[in-house]
Amino acid sequence: MPINKKKTVDSKANQISLPKKTMLGLFDNLLKTRLLDERFRKLYRQGRFAGTYFSAVGQEATTVGPTYGLRDEDIIAPSHREIGANVTKGVPLDKIIAQVYARESSPDKGKSHPCHYGWKAKGVITPSSTLAGQTVVGTGCAMGFKIMKKDNVVLAFFGEGSTSRGGWHEALNYAGIHNLPIVYICQNNLWAESVPSTLQAGIEDFSDRAKAYGFPGITIDGNNVFTVHKTASEAISKARKGEGPTLIECKTYRWYGHSEIDPADYRTQEELEEWKRKDPLQIAEKILMDLKILTTTKREALVEQINQEIDEAIESVEKDAYAAPEEAYIDVYSEQFPVKRVDW
Amino acid sequence: MKKTTYIEGITEALDEEMERDEKVFLIGEDIGIYGGVFKATKGLLDKYGAERVIDSPISEVYIAGGSVGAAMVGLKPVAEIQFADFITPSMDQIIQQMAKMRYRTGGQWTCPMTIRVCCGGDIGGGLYHSQINEQWFFSQPGLVVVMPATPYDAKGLLKSAIRGDDPVIYFEHKRLYRWIKENLPEEDFTVPIGKAALRKEGSDVTLVSYGLMYHRSMEAALALEKEGISAEVIDMRTILPWDREMIFESVKKTSKAVLVQESSKTGGVMAEISASITEEVFDFLDAPVARVCGLDVPAIPFAPPMEHLFLPNAEKISKAVKNIIEY
Ligand SMILES: Cc1ncc(C[n+]2csc(CCOP(=O)(O)OP(=O)(O)O)c2C)c(N)n1
Repeated sequence: MPINKKKTVDSKANQISLPKKTMLGLFDNLLKTRLLDERFRKLYRQGRFAGTYFSAVGQEATTVGPTYGLRDEDIIAPSHREIGANVTKGVPLDKIIAQVYARESSPDKGKSHPCHYGWKAKGVITPSSTLAGQTVVGTGCAMGFKIMKKDNVVLAFFGEGSTSRGGWHEALNYAGIHNLPIVYICQNNLWAESVPSTLQAGIEDFSDRAKAYGFPGITIDGNNVFTVHKTASEAISKARKGEGPTLIECKTYRWYGHSEIDPADYRTQEELEEWKRKDPLQIAEKILMDLKILTTTKREALVEQINQEIDEAIESVEKDAYAAPEEAYIDVYSEQFPVKRVDW
Repeated sequence: MKKTTYIEGITEALDEEMERDEKVFLIGEDIGIYGGVFKATKGLLDKYGAERVIDSPISEVYIAGGSVGAAMVGLKPVAEIQFADFITPSMDQIIQQMAKMRYRTGGQWTCPMTIRVCCGGDIGGGLYHSQINEQWFFSQPGLVVVMPATPYDAKGLLKSAIRGDDPVIYFEHKRLYRWIKENLPEEDFTVPIGKAALRKEGSDVTLVSYGLMYHRSMEAALALEKEGISAEVIDMRTILPWDREMIFESVKKTSKAVLVQESSKTGGVMAEISASITEEVFDFLDAPVARVCGLDVPAIPFAPPMEHLFLPNAEKISKAVKNIIEY
């Protein structure tokens, strides 16, 4: 059985015309996501937070690209690898870091799970771990927007593996019937934990799934942030105008294990090297430098500035306490139904 | 005052809440054009239009999960699961999204919504159209679970569910839909969630139940009365969070408890009530707590004699009462 059939996706990078400000904004968020993600991996190795960590290094363009330019009221229905969507939607760094550190200052007060970022002020739903769970809920948000006649949109993110779930199909089926204002972003990183995409579905392009639901499915190079942004923006404005959903499959790759405890020994070194040569950050950088929008000096200054922001946010979060254990009793119900406390 | 059936109470509650709050909308299978397979939503499509009375595809995952999303952005969904037997596909969304939304987001996102579940046996519904399955939801903190037994409660509890801030599983018993009529006030009223109803005072034994089993318990209590046994009858109405105080106070008074439940015995709601009674008011008990429950078999079998064997009834309840009175 052919595993990971090679399909070269022409990035048409230089043909993409976007305003200079947008291109720099995309690059800025891409860089920030990368630096923060790599920093988390380091902090994990230093034992600075508990649990594990799900890195999205290598596939940042798939989350940064679609999210850039959204409104605060637009909703992100994420899964576990959407650090880039949070950074780009404007969730403050200290909120993102506090989530991983499970501190009281985290939006979820330390209740959920590492990498399950969410912040209502920026429209990001703190996800559950049940894969494709948020695809259903996000579709419901889009149904709500349609019923209320609001022109907000929903971006639902998931890996290719999650598209095998029944609930995922029920959601897309419903969105197709009612032309809901939602854009589905499939991050096809070729592996779902240890299972290759060829054992996930009998199709090569996961965007083909959209055919069954009566809306467009598009497969693109997920490592070119400008392509991703342009494709997603078009789909988003269509959705906002009431012209229905789109499924966008971004071909990409995760560089590290499924989580930090996974050595990822199910795949070959060659495959990894091949994809590392298609590093989304370097691709963006090269395009910007070719267009003379970015210089090495400017890039270095940006790295320094972002690293300083990250340093400061980590320092502040590490000083934050965990919530008092009794926080466990809070937010089970509204205040109408207080939970009976145990007298240990 | 107006003579109203249980199902009319439900329709009126939906209608009045939709009239009162434009954020309320309905979604479910066959609820629009057809008015629901039991006609609970009859006339509402014409009155409120297809955007607020949505005929959904056969998608129990979406009916539950889509409602969660709609509630999160500010609507008040009332979803219908046509038969409790078919709620299993929704479990993922109910348990992992609906019940945990407030908790897992640190109170940022909530989903005030109601899922109406048409349930229950004693209607010859067979293995797959007679189930309740309330015990699955009862063991999930974060959910509110209610089950009215009377038209008044059917209407009042549904209104409270829709107006409240928490996710509610509202079980409506098919056997009760058109069986009993009750005079309901013309003016607006609600029934508080979390409060049981003391339906009959008594001094010898406490009978605790909900839904159809409340009526079976009351039948038993009235028969026992003639034999000189005074039973107190509590209709729980809200299954989660349940009214601990009323049940404990009653058991303290009567010193005996018989707990009645239509669903299978093992792992059921009454197992928890029974354990709590022994934990909290053991010193007041004069006899072991007794349970009269559905059989521990996969569900209610189709053939009438088997359905009869499965279900608790007044006779079986009276027998259990006499057993512990003689203890
Ligand atoms: C319903 C469900 N089944 C299994 C898991 C365990 N699990 C977590 S991530 C994962 C792989 C997900 O693959 P994919 O959707 O492609 O996303 P990726 O991790 O590649 O980003 C699995 C099996 C889960 N979280 N939820």
